[in-house]
This record gives sequence, C-alpha cells and structure tokens, in this order.
Amino acid sequence: MIPDNGGFATAAYIAAAVIYVGYALSVRARMRRLLARRREMPEQSGGPR
Amino acid sequence: MSSTLSRDTTVNAPTLSNGTDWLIIAGLASVAAVYVRAFLFTPPEATQGPAQRILYVHAPSAFVALYLAFALMALTSALYLWLKDEKLDRVAESAAEVGLAYTSVVLVTGPLWGKPIWGAWWTWDARLTLTLFLWFIIVGYLVLRGAIDERGMRARYSAVLALLAGFLIPFIHLSVYLFRTMHPMPIVLKPSAPSMPGVMLVTFTSAFFAFTLLFAGLLRARYRMATLRDSLADRENDR
Repeated sequence: MIPDNGGFATAAYIAAAVIYVGYALSVRARMRRLLARRREMPEQSGGPR
Repeated sequence: MSSTLSRDTTVNAPTLSNGTDWLIIAGLASVAAVYVRAFLFTPPEATQGPAQRILYVHAPSAFVALYLAFALMALTSALYLWLKDEKLDRVAESAAEVGLAYTSVVLVTGPLWGKPIWGAWWTWDARLTLTLFLWFIIVGYLVLRGAIDERGMRARYSAVLALLAGFLIPFIHLSVYLFRTMHPMPIVLKPSAPSMPGVMLVTFTSAFFAFTLLFAGLLRARYRMATLRDSLADRENDR
C-alpha cells in the first residue's frame, strides 16, 4: 500500500515556491529602487569602473 | 582591468522599465510547469509514496546550487584575484546570493522528505552537515561584503572566502561515497543507467532544465543590479 504522506510533498513545493518567488521579487524591488535613484540623478555618461 | 559598459546596454535593454526580467518569468513559468507535471502527470513511487515527488525540487535545486552557482562563484573569485576585473567580482557576488536561495530550498525540502521516509527531520549525516556549513559560509560571505565599503578590499577579501568555500563542493559531492551516510546515492547523475522509470525520468530531467533556466534569469538580474549599483556609486563619488 502506498503511504499517505502527500502533505509533506505539498509543503515542500509551497516552501520552494515561496523562496524562489520571494527572492525574485526582492531582486526586482532592489532593481526598481536603483532605477528610481538613477532617474533622480543628473544625466552623465559612463558606467561602472 | 576596467569595464566601460554603457549603463543603457547593460541595465536597461533586456529589462522591462519596472525592473522585471523576462528570463526570470520564463524560469518561473518552467518551474510551474514542472510542478503541474510532478503532481498531475507523474505517478507516486510505490514504497516512498507522494513524498518522493520532493525529489523533483530538491535534487535540481542542489545541482544548481553546488555545481552551477557556487562553482561559478569560486571560479570567478579565483579569476578576480588574478585579473582584478570587477565584472568577475559582480558575477561571484550574484552567483553566491542566488546559490544561497537555492541552498535554502535544499535545506527546507530535504527535512520535509526525511521526516516521512527516515522518520527524522534532520540527521548529522556528512552530506547534510556539509551543506549546512556551506550555507553558513555563504551567509558569512554576503555579510562580509556588506560590511566593507571599499570596493577593492571587499572584492579581494570576499574572493578569498568564496574560493575557500568552493573547496567544500567536491567534499559534498563525494560525501555519499566517502562517509557512512543515510543520504540516498545518485539515481540519475551516475556512470550507470538512471534507476528511475521513464515517466519519472522525464519529470526529473525537465526539472533540471527548469531550475537551471530560473538560475540563469536570477543570476542575470542580480548581476545587472550589482552593475547598476556600482555605476551609481561611481557617479555619486564623481560628483
């Protein structure tokens, strides 16, 4: 008989989704903050050293 | 060595105006497709039951974290110490942070598989313990980066730490052969044929591609963020 442990799999998949989506959103939020900061700066050419 | 990349081509072009990256969206969509396939189109394993499905998230995440993210971090850190190119430092930083997210998934999903299969959430087994140590070292690496303002010193110190962390990768890989361990042996990435039925193997292989695609998207976005951050810091220093 197949054991009834589907709850563990569901919990693992939800936890993984929370971590991956949460991390993707954190990168997006930090990027948006930097883009907003750049818009506030006076125009200047050049990139990172 | 210095990079003179235009901020418009490095940061804006493939990124939407609100900071969203299409490659991340493609990666997340692929992972969602793997979820659907794992739950709706892949039968549960007879002895382990539905908890075996955790393998389709756990193993690809571990593969990406160890053999892509942290290997890339160690390699680019070594190259940074040689070439002193800030782009390499930014790749190492980005790979470390994305790898930390993947390792966190490994460390969360592993115990959720261990409890129903082993009867214990955690065991101080060589592979589990070394992976946890690596997670702490990467947290330390990111804390170190945040604590040093001077960019050259930050890059040099963190490159040395990343290189040392990289030495754990072969030990983690070989831990199931070198030590008496409860962790399962490889079932696909091994010299002989995969010990898995075809329908499960398709799901497992798809998961590897999906999580690798997501890694590429996250790494690219994180690298762009680091590039823009350094670019803004340069502009602020020039004023």
